[in-house]
Amino acid sequence: MNLFISLPPKDEFINTILYLIEQYSGFFIRGVLITLLLSVVGTVGGFILSLFLTVLRTQEIDERRDSLMTKVLKKTGHIFSSIYITVFRGTPMIVQAMIFYYGIAPLRLSFWTPLVAGLTVVTLNTTAYIAEVIRSGINGIDKGQMEAARSTGFSRSQAMFLIIFPQAIRNSLPAIGNEFIVNLKDTAVLSVIGVFDLFRATQSATSSNFRIVEGFFIAALIYLLLTYLTGKAVSALENKKPLKRVKANA
Amino acid sequence: MKRIVALLVLIVLLVTVSACVGNEQFDLDSETEIVVGLEAAYAPFNWSTPVSSRYALPLDGQPGVYVDGFDVVMASLIAEELGLELVIKAVDWDGLIPALLAGEIDLIIAGMSPTAERAQTVAFSNEYFRSEQVMVVSTTGAYANATSLSSFSGARVVAQLGTLQDGLIDQIPSVNHLEPLDSYGLLGTAVASNAADAFIAELPVAQSMVAANSNLKIIQFTGTNGFTVSDEDVIVSVALRQEDELLLAAINAALATISTVERNQIMADALQRQPQE
Repeated sequence: MNLFISLPPKDEFINTILYLIEQYSGFFIRGVLITLLLSVVGTVGGFILSLFLTVLRTQEIDERRDSLMTKVLKKTGHIFSSIYITVFRGTPMIVQAMIFYYGIAPLRLSFWTPLVAGLTVVTLNTTAYIAEVIRSGINGIDKGQMEAARSTGFSRSQAMFLIIFPQAIRNSLPAIGNEFIVNLKDTAVLSVIGVFDLFRATQSATSSNFRIVEGFFIAALIYLLLTYLTGKAVSALENKKPLKRVKANA
Repeated sequence: MKRIVALLVLIVLLVTVSACVGNEQFDLDSETEIVVGLEAAYAPFNWSTPVSSRYALPLDGQPGVYVDGFDVVMASLIAEELGLELVIKAVDWDGLIPALLAGEIDLIIAGMSPTAERAQTVAFSNEYFRSEQVMVVSTTGAYANATSLSSFSGARVVAQLGTLQDGLIDQIPSVNHLEPLDSYGLLGTAVASNAADAFIAELPVAQSMVAANSNLKIIQFTGTNGFTVSDEDVIVSVALRQEDELLLAAINAALATISTVERNQIMADALQRQPQE
């Protein structure tokens, strides 16, 4: 059943919107799914990779006990993670997308599609941001906890993984949720390499009728709905009670 | 410092690899498909649609999205002539030339004008469309038998707001340049109702209007009787990598098989398939 046989006149805003939804719902649905895929993979993948980065970054060189090899490895890890974070936070994602997609495309790898490139870029980009979030989470944990752990016989890495990280990550969850919201919106730039996200879907839906404002009004409503719902979920996460403080008994 | 050097070496390596890949010519004998890049968002040259049809071809890697338009028909004809399977990829306007250089696509058929600036980076085929500027007049009016711009001396001429055509009006000697109108529908009404004597349009647009309105007539100009326009404003060409000289020759040969009349008809049909109010 078709409500609109032909394109409504230019001044009929609401009818044009209904027309676009009717004619191009397939585009919009596909666009939303791709945008969600990019944001979920980017945030989850970025979270996992950022843990490695954080480990590299927080290790300390023990001048007396570490062998030369260990020292070099640790130092390399340190430098790598700070260069990584500086580069990925210091350049726009749209620039990263252009460099990655067109830089690797000449190798003619069959799997290197715009979507794969987009997923890669959003993941690498988010990794840098979440690594910073987790680092500030770690800084927020009282130094006394590490000292206490060490004095009760934990090794440095045991203390890091069993005591510091879990708390830091838990405290960082709302900020990581915010990264997800940022990704929902910012992945629109990946349309530049041809990823069929919500932005490009809208461009495509208006490509033959030029009803740009009406089309992007629909896109704005969809983005708003997505970010609003995610925002609600994030604040629910924030309002959860913080971890119980264990009182130190003297 | 060492890492920076290593990073630089890596970048140089990557660039070299890409340069090597890029140096291979497109081999017409061994290749089975040709990849064409376009925006899929530049009607009437190319636009996206969710519906498959005789004219709307699937976009590579985007299930459920099809692309239609003048460029798509021309691309099919070229591919057929070359005996290659046509693959169409949607690429952003700014990404078209990088994608071509990277080997992502083999041709740009996207309503692109062969500007001198672009020609420094890519090669261009002969034109595959030239928009001819014509006048549309009333069949019963005083200008129905005009043959040159000077016949329109003193006429009330109108064009669409913000278009090339509006700028062309002043080439007519002692013309009465009317306030531009918003749409071609209004231009047709203006001439049909004798509020204006003529309007300027591209030929395919004029044809589709005359087809819908028997009171209107097209005046085409021959030789130097018409408007003076720069090629960059009115022609579009296929862009390809500069090293693909054999492919360029093959494409020019394929284009030569499609006459101007056919091209204008393909364009008029594409305009008809675009959603109408």
